[in-house]
Amino acid sequence: MARSSPPFRLMTADERRGWWLGHWRAGVPALFTLVLTVVMLAPLPTPVPLFPHLALLSVFCWTMVRPRLLPVPVAFALGALADLLFGMPVGVAATLFALVAVVVRLADRLLGDHALWLDWLLLALVLLGFEAGSVGLMAVAGQPVPFWPQLWQWLTTLMAYPLVVWLVVRVQRRWLPDQG
Amino acid sequence: MAAPAMEWSSPSRRPSAIRREQNLALLGAVVSGAVIATGLLLLLVARVNPSAGERLRAAMMDIVAPVWSVVRAPFDGAARVAGDASDYAGAVDRARRLEQQLDLANQRLRAAAADARALSQLRKLMQVQEPRRVTVATTRIVAATSGSISRTAMISAGSANGVQPGQPVIGTEGLIGRTMEAGQFNARVLLLTDPASRVPVIVQRTGQPGIAAGGNRPVLSLIDRVGIDVPLLPGDRIVTSGDGGVFPPGVLVGLVVDAGAAAPLLRPAASPMGAGYVRVEQAYLRLPAEASGPVYDAPVPAEARVRGAPMPRLRDTPPAIMPLPVAPPATAPR
Repeated sequence: MARSSPPFRLMTADERRGWWLGHWRAGVPALFTLVLTVVMLAPLPTPVPLFPHLALLSVFCWTMVRPRLLPVPVAFALGALADLLFGMPVGVAATLFALVAVVVRLADRLLGDHALWLDWLLLALVLLGFEAGSVGLMAVAGQPVPFWPQLWQWLTTLMAYPLVVWLVVRVQRRWLPDQG
Repeated sequence: MAAPAMEWSSPSRRPSAIRREQNLALLGAVVSGAVIATGLLLLLVARVNPSAGERLRAAMMDIVAPVWSVVRAPFDGAARVAGDASDYAGAVDRARRLEQQLDLANQRLRAAAADARALSQLRKLMQVQEPRRVTVATTRIVAATSGSISRTAMISAGSANGVQPGQPVIGTEGLIGRTMEAGQFNARVLLLTDPASRVPVIVQRTGQPGIAAGGNRPVLSLIDRVGIDVPLLPGDRIVTSGDGGVFPPGVLVGLVVDAGAAAPLLRPAASPMGAGYVRVEQAYLRLPAEASGPVYDAPVPAEARVRGAPMPRLRDTPPAIMPLPVAPPATAPR
């Protein structure tokens, strides 16, 4: 379903304006992740970290689908924003989002053509690394936290993965149709 | 993700194109490494200076929390419905038990009424001064970080309403937490279950002070209890002791559920989920921000003292900026 645009000099005025204004689509993955971060702030204070980490799932999915639209510095910035909103020392989620972006790109290139359950398995491993890394980085930042309660978030995030995949596919088909 | 072709353009065979792609890949790797190193650096900065970026965090809170304060209503309703549904099970047994407890409580109330009168007379006789508890704001919880490592919540009252960091947040059933950051219109509350939360408490039955610490679990642990050989009983009430310069005394923190563990486990009395309105009070007997030690004049050399210069004095006012030195006085002041 590739839709190529005509060369710039052959565009009409309308097409040219559409081409300029259409650049907002480059920010769709970042905006999507931002919206999911705000959704994660729902007023449901649980004693254990239960809410699935939708922002991380979004970074994971978009890095698999459109790595060029979510480069590593943008993932870092989104993680820094998540840190600021969650009241954690800045750099915990930032570093880990960047690391996840790097690891997912590598894994995607290594795995090549693969099925969805393999993605889910990769997510389980990456998520375990994320939770362990969060605990470690919080200790580096001087605020030690226990590790075992984080496994609740690991479970719920794994269960929320199909939902985020579906959302990402819907958003991609609607707003980023250029490359399927 | 399960699409057959991940490569959008076939790689060119020209050596310059291949070299360009390799260079770009190397550049990407270097940029990723730099980004991760920046993250670790930021963490070290946060370790050394925990209040760095406080204003930025407060600004983000002011931007994001209003989104949820508008959408909050269905969540309050859902939390209340969850509570109501569990209420219907076992209602008759609970009613009978409650009536028994009510009779016992009324007896105790009658005995306590006489005690209360005697206590107020004694207080007036001895002119006991107690700090007042002042409510700063009454507000609701509008957002919560249940997807994060830290257990915090946001309330829709900020420095414009008088909320400052380090103030206790009290719900109808007990203590909720304390404010840790205050933006213009919203503030962040550190809940009791956060690993960084430490509340100075006292066991009401035995009078032993201790500290209630959270650990990202549904229960708090009572650590540093004075007199640990005295056993606690399940159901012992743990209330704030008034120490520490934040929490007022007498606020219910929780009940002991497991007295036998090394650190007794407490179930928090107030759950922030569906807490409805919460009250922010002024810090109780707030500790001074900076401790200032005794300030002396500059030391005087022995030769000047021999010639009559005065000894360095202990100043009770902080030294002002001195003007340029003028000729010393002819006679010593002492």
